[in-house]
Amino acid sequence: MHGKNVELSEAVMRFGDFTAVHRSNLEIEAGEFFSILGPSGCGKTTILRMISGFIEPSEGRILIGGEDMRGRGPNNRPTALIFQNLALFPLMTVWENVAFGLEARGVDKAARRKRAEELLALVDLAGQGGKKPTELSGGQRQRVAVARALAVEPSVLLLDEPLSALDLKLRQHMRSELREIQRKTGVTFVFITHDQGEALTMSDRVAVMNQGRVEQIGSADEIYLNPRTPFVATFVGQQNVFRGKVAGLDEGLAQVETSLGRFLGINGDGLGVGDDAMVFVRPERLGLVGRNGGAAPGNQLEAEVEGRELEGPFINMFLNAQGLPLTMHVTNSAEMPAQLAGRQKVGFRSEDALVLRAGDLADE
Amino acid sequence: MNELLRSYGRGLTGLFVGLTIVWLAVLVIVPQAMMLEQSLWSKERGSEISLRIDRAYTELETAKFDLAGDLAPDKKAELEDAVSRLEAEIAELEAQEQDPPKVYGLQNYTKMSGLHFNIFVKTIAYAALVTLLALVVCYPIAYAVAHLSTPRKAALLLLGLTIPYAINELLRVYAWLMILDYQGVINSFLAAIGFVSFEAKTWVPFLEYSGSVFVAMIYAYILFMVFPIYNTLETLDRNQIEAAKDLGGSIWLTHRRVVIPHAKPGIAVGCIMTFMLSAGSYAVPQIMTRGKSGDWFSQLIYRQFFESFNWNVGAAYSFTLLIACIVFIFLMMAIFKVGIRDIAK
Repeated sequence: MHGKNVELSEAVMRFGDFTAVHRSNLEIEAGEFFSILGPSGCGKTTILRMISGFIEPSEGRILIGGEDMRGRGPNNRPTALIFQNLALFPLMTVWENVAFGLEARGVDKAARRKRAEELLALVDLAGQGGKKPTELSGGQRQRVAVARALAVEPSVLLLDEPLSALDLKLRQHMRSELREIQRKTGVTFVFITHDQGEALTMSDRVAVMNQGRVEQIGSADEIYLNPRTPFVATFVGQQNVFRGKVAGLDEGLAQVETSLGRFLGINGDGLGVGDDAMVFVRPERLGLVGRNGGAAPGNQLEAEVEGRELEGPFINMFLNAQGLPLTMHVTNSAEMPAQLAGRQKVGFRSEDALVLRAGDLADE
Repeated sequence: MNELLRSYGRGLTGLFVGLTIVWLAVLVIVPQAMMLEQSLWSKERGSEISLRIDRAYTELETAKFDLAGDLAPDKKAELEDAVSRLEAEIAELEAQEQDPPKVYGLQNYTKMSGLHFNIFVKTIAYAALVTLLALVVCYPIAYAVAHLSTPRKAALLLLGLTIPYAINELLRVYAWLMILDYQGVINSFLAAIGFVSFEAKTWVPFLEYSGSVFVAMIYAYILFMVFPIYNTLETLDRNQIEAAKDLGGSIWLTHRRVVIPHAKPGIAVGCIMTFMLSAGSYAVPQIMTRGKSGDWFSQLIYRQFFESFNWNVGAAYSFTLLIACIVFIFLMMAIFKVGIRDIAK
């Protein structure tokens, strides 16, 4: 890594009375694939537009490559933006689209054409330059947009949910393709998405945002395994949530008194006795007691099986524990009975449970 | 047709089709055909025929005078023959003078005098200039309304543009007359600050400049340019403008490569409408020049019809103007590379 590339320093964005982005600090390393993940309306697009220069922060600074960007419009910043709808120019050919940034810089036509063809080759579209964007498939248009943005040799490429319009198969293919292009070019990618799968699989680091605040920044593993807020815990991946009060503490663990019993989990927030708490357990960490052999987990409860869904490698079991819906992933192995019904004893280990201070959850 | 029948049934479909046919026949085809027929013939009422009548009358008088004298009977009979022959000839010639025979041909089109042709060329040139000026004025307005303002502001701006059109065209043009007149608003203001003097008649004669007709015409027809352009610009994805800006495009490049190509059909329609309206405008030049100068071809056509009562030439002139306008339409379509379909959109 070559040091910081993009830096938000105490940046605030207000629109009238509405604060879209609360005081935020963000440091994005050069050459990094950085994702900003959050539900719609969380302020992630606002951050992107602040970096690209379409809006100026109400307070604070945006630095790119150490330079303060205040007062510099989108055409004067070393950034290029890929729009959600791509915004290709429909009346120009593909190569003219790619070369538009060079045209703006006064590059002559022959050189433009040559560079456009090189870039089209980079995104696997060699020889397609003479077509109109409407003659290409969705995935190809995507790559044209990438090539067009790369043509201006930005140090930061900003991507505003560019995959959301594609179908599932193509989206998954484009993930690896984008990642590959990023690796080849070494350009810093800032990728905005509400799709956690995209964020987790593609990024070096992810920032999770909620209601105008950056809740957590970290690698995909950190975000998934050690969420720091109830929002992050429930927004990224699935969770079973038990609410209660801390009843006791024990060497980094917290015991929480819930309506379903006392559960022991990792004390992630340094809670004290009596604090309102939430216990988070991933569906894949919840198991049937006595099925997998080994020692019985420390936390146990009884629940009624209400339904199942075959996902392929695993089965989604829907349980009901005294009115609280739970989800459990069961490995699809030969030992598993095809039909599991009735009242079952389920449990989880205390090191698989995370206890956090009670707070807002992500809406399901 | 089948679709119409399915949706509306026999009775209503018949009514629609019937009304369309009646409209086409009564209001379009028949009057146009009559005008076209009118433009294709003329009655030669040359000076030659009256000369011949005059000559015949002189001969007749001479013969009658001779008859009054004493004459040999054979001479007398000869003279009486001549008198009746001359009287018949005069009657025939006078009938011809009263109602000369129709001569079919393109003479009404080809025999346009140099003066009239000058006026025609000037009218077309002025109309093209009005169109160009209206385009220069309207494109930024349409762009601003479509892309720079919030929906609320856009609504207000559009309302502001539309309100003047609730006022009669004549009043709108008269308003400009008031402003530009010798003792009008501007000159009164100039007089008040001591620039000109009404007594010494040193006012600025705005109305004598062709600019005054331009100003009034642009004002009279601006909406016909603004709305088609506005409609196409409104469908332009804002992201495309932002993308162009993000890629470093200057305002000029963005407009030249992204916005104007998108707005082409609207610009073509706006130009066609403005051109046809201003080329055929009668009221604006009539009012602004107070009918004192026949600068506009439409005024010439009016005079052919209602002052010279020469419907044949009037019809021919009308068709000449129509043909010029049709040529302009095709020219616009060629320049902007748009088809009828794009325009219909």
